[in-house]
Amino acid sequence: MSEDRVYNVLIVGVGGQGIILASDVLGKVAARHGYDVKKNEIHGMAQRGGSVSSHVRFGKTVSSPIIKMGEADVLLSFEQIETLRYFPFLSVDGNVIVNDQKILPPAVFTGKQEYPPDVLERIREKVPNAVVVDGIHVAENLGNPRVVNVIFLGILSKYLDIPASTYEEVLKESLKPKLVDINLKAFHEGRALAAS
Amino acid sequence: MPSQNDSDVRFLMGNEAIGRGIIQAGCGVAAAYPGTPSSEVLQSLVRWKKELDHSIYLEWSINEKVAFEVAYGASLAGMRSVAVMKMVGLNVASDPFMSAAYLGVRGGLVVVVADDPGPHSSQTEQDSRFFSWFAKVPVLDPGTPAEALEMAVRAFEISEKYQVPVLLRPCLRVCHARQNVTLSKPAPIANVGPFEKNWTRWAAIPRFRLVLHGELNEKIEKMRLEEPESKPVPILNGSGNSIALVTSGSVSSHVRDVVASDDRLKDIDVFKVGMPFPSQADALQQIVDSHEKTLVIEETYPVLELQIMDRRKVEGRLSGAVPPQGELVPETVEDIILKSLGETPTEREAPKIKSRRPSLCAGCPHRPAFYMIKSIFDEAVYSGDIGCYTLGINMGAVDTCLCMGSSIGMAGGLARTPTASNGTQVVATIGDSTFFHSGVAALINAVHTGAPFVLVIMDNSVTAMTGGQPTPGNPYLADGSGGKPIDMERLIQGCGVDFLEVVDPYDHDAMKDALEHAKKHVFEDRNGVAVVITRRACIRAPNAEIPSQRFRIGDDCDLCMTCVKDLECPAIHYVKGERRMEIDEDLCAGCGFCVSICPSRAIELKGA
Repeated sequence: MSEDRVYNVLIVGVGGQGIILASDVLGKVAARHGYDVKKNEIHGMAQRGGSVSSHVRFGKTVSSPIIKMGEADVLLSFEQIETLRYFPFLSVDGNVIVNDQKILPPAVFTGKQEYPPDVLERIREKVPNAVVVDGIHVAENLGNPRVVNVIFLGILSKYLDIPASTYEEVLKESLKPKLVDINLKAFHEGRALAAS
Repeated sequence: MPSQNDSDVRFLMGNEAIGRGIIQAGCGVAAAYPGTPSSEVLQSLVRWKKELDHSIYLEWSINEKVAFEVAYGASLAGMRSVAVMKMVGLNVASDPFMSAAYLGVRGGLVVVVADDPGPHSSQTEQDSRFFSWFAKVPVLDPGTPAEALEMAVRAFEISEKYQVPVLLRPCLRVCHARQNVTLSKPAPIANVGPFEKNWTRWAAIPRFRLVLHGELNEKIEKMRLEEPESKPVPILNGSGNSIALVTSGSVSSHVRDVVASDDRLKDIDVFKVGMPFPSQADALQQIVDSHEKTLVIEETYPVLELQIMDRRKVEGRLSGAVPPQGELVPETVEDIILKSLGETPTEREAPKIKSRRPSLCAGCPHRPAFYMIKSIFDEAVYSGDIGCYTLGINMGAVDTCLCMGSSIGMAGGLARTPTASNGTQVVATIGDSTFFHSGVAALINAVHTGAPFVLVIMDNSVTAMTGGQPTPGNPYLADGSGGKPIDMERLIQGCGVDFLEVVDPYDHDAMKDALEHAKKHVFEDRNGVAVVITRRACIRAPNAEIPSQRFRIGDDCDLCMTCVKDLECPAIHYVKGERRMEIDEDLCAGCGFCVSICPSRAIELKGA
């Protein structure tokens, strides 16, 4: 990897899925590793069940906090259909990590429209090696359904060039003390899943 | 919390960095009204004040005009002070803002105005740099959170040096960006000495205003020549004579990365202007004259472009090279530059994924209020307002949304038309914070003129959309210290309203009664405005009461969809294949309103 390389990580999902925390931890990790980091997040109206995205960019010199379309190295999506929405941001050789969860948009509540049944197929058609993990299932097995975001942070960490210990340090500083152990466990579970 | 020393580095949001800059500059008074993307500035000041045990005075003002006036008053009394708002807030504060430019300031006065190109969370894409030009007030335009901190400090210095207010204009992509920012020790709170009486200045009559206007013009010309931020500064060096690119603010960051990462663009000289008004027009002209072509990329109006006198070799918004609306994101910037160079822009496919519309939270007290308004006033014109409750659109219970507080003023007009005389009823809805912000004057107007409409004030005790900031109805202030709560009922009665009822929006029957009484008062008995307050704390508010009860949908359900279509509850959905409805227990907030409105009485309490 060249010294001038810029890493672009796009984290997407629906309001309330812990995207801001995950992206914040990643940003701090990259900054602690010595990278110039710029990060962007969405606040306001979108948080009321809307589509949420967070861009994290790091490298030797980075000015803009948003990823240009077609340049995301990793697209981490916490919701199936949100993956498709942000596909145009993915670079030609970009990686995709998907939480196997469907959050129904309002038009689907009434049964008038259907949630597309073939989203995972469409993802794999474009990115054959896309990693799909049922995060809620893994989190429930760990004993806390709220650690889905950190499980995926663990998976994501395997695609980046920063040691796990840096993530551990930042997680310890960013979380309430009583939540540290379960989240460290979730992070390492994610890393193990990525390796398997 | 890391120790507070000279080399302290933190990973900060742009708004937190601006808050830090305000503290470091020795500012003593900060007043704000919340609004995306500006809200975190004052919130961060609350935290900096606590962390540093600092004595800065902070307030969430009732609206932006008052916030500006509080800051201005403190400035005349010698303090460095700041008012913080979003760009449409500057419209509200424009009267004192314009006048303050003439009168000038004493202690440094900075107005932080956050712009929202896109727009992502606003009514307009207005460019506050243009507003500053209109007011003849200098404006600093940061490109990153770190620069925003430095510029916040510089803004106070320039303000005090020239005795004019200074506008600091971060865009959303600076406000909500994060990066490592180096902190310095805060300066002691600055004070240039107590208020000095001088009516020819501080209470100037028109004759003296003419003199002051002349002085303001001189100040602007002086800072245009003397302040380093007015000059275009090279940030990337190309070949030196073919193509120049002039930029400013948040879009300058995208421009830098796009140009630096593309070999086809290596001949471009990129210049950035920190203070787009007043900018050094001569220096800009020199750039234009010494290059074959100059591209101007700025957000969102052609402020720098218009200051270039001879634009024959200039491409920008005026030439059509830059789109006249919409945010300039990196791919847009790349397209603009490549097209200007005669290169083929990158082809991009955008899959058509339907947008995921935001909706009121499950358990939101606004939902039952809108549902009942719709059911009691089924053919009414619904005059809506700005806040979470604009999402009443989803329920068909909001027909208009103009600006803060306009629901009440507009209802007064909607109710004066022939259609209204022929029986079309008008119902206005407004939240508590918006009512305090700018609804009260319109209510007095409606009462005085006998305007026939029903007003529903949805009191959820916080400014919810922007993150739950306190309203004047709360017994506490921005920093948590005690404040005198304003009694909304007394206020409304003081406005002369004859009909006032207060109900819990979770209580179906009480709501039905109150709204029917209001309907009779206005539309049958032909009285003036009736007010119903629906009062229950936002489920995200600190004083929220969330019932622990949960519900199930029984066999009597005939799939009429009232609960998902009309009530629009996000906790209920149709299970395809099984032909049944289901309640998501994690999402459900236990309000139980669905039980009251289910036509087939199929929803029942769990465990009952």
